[in-house]
Amino acid sequence: MRKFWRCHVCNDIHYGIFPPELCPTCKVEFGYIEVSSQEARKIMSISETTMSKEDFVAAIHRFTKMREFNVNPDQERVEMLTGGVFTCEQSQGLKYCPCRMIERDFESDLSLICPCNFLQHDTYKDKPDGECWCGLFVKKETT
Amino acid sequence: MSHYILFHGRECPHCKKMMPLVDKLIAEEGAEIDQREVWHDEKNADLMRSYKDIIKAKCGGQLRVPTFLNAETNEVFCGEVEYEKLIKWIS
Repeated sequence: MRKFWRCHVCNDIHYGIFPPELCPTCKVEFGYIEVSSQEARKIMSISETTMSKEDFVAAIHRFTKMREFNVNPDQERVEMLTGGVFTCEQSQGLKYCPCRMIERDFESDLSLICPCNFLQHDTYKDKPDGECWCGLFVKKETT
Repeated sequence: MSHYILFHGRECPHCKKMMPLVDKLIAEEGAEIDQREVWHDEKNADLMRSYKDIIKAKCGGQLRVPTFLNAETNEVFCGEVEYEKLIKWIS
């Protein structure tokens, strides 16, 4: 079961089964201690952030930088899809994929948040021109 | 209500690509297709979810759009398909 963990040096919050051995924020080793979800939420409430569509597009470009896929070069498609992602966020509270539908099972619907784990999907895996279901991410060409 | 149901999303590029073919199917074949947009209409989303077991079995374990459903035979396919497949769907 996943839990919340707090770095005792810098208050970095981690959500996972195990705490990180190295804090990515302050680099202290073995610095995490388990905390309650209430404590974690309280600490995280210090940084209320918002994200515009432009911020999201910039974030997904950064996300692909060291990976085997790119954001689709078709800007019209990216515009349409990110518009859909934000429509989903406005109506459902999370950036769900506009090319699929939630089942109203919160835990399993988490797998539909963009970017999803599309590397395992039949539209991407083992395909030289693979892409995520909606086509927001496309496999990099290998030369 | 037609038993040929198309579930689609307004911001889905696959759906956008398929719409002219669906329009052609209606114009040329006289098909009656119940078109349900699912991300801007909760009732349509609920209708899609009511078929989730049938759809997921044929669509990679997910509720994907576009989904073409024959609610009488439970025949389902999803994604971008050739026009010939659409003709087969309604015949």
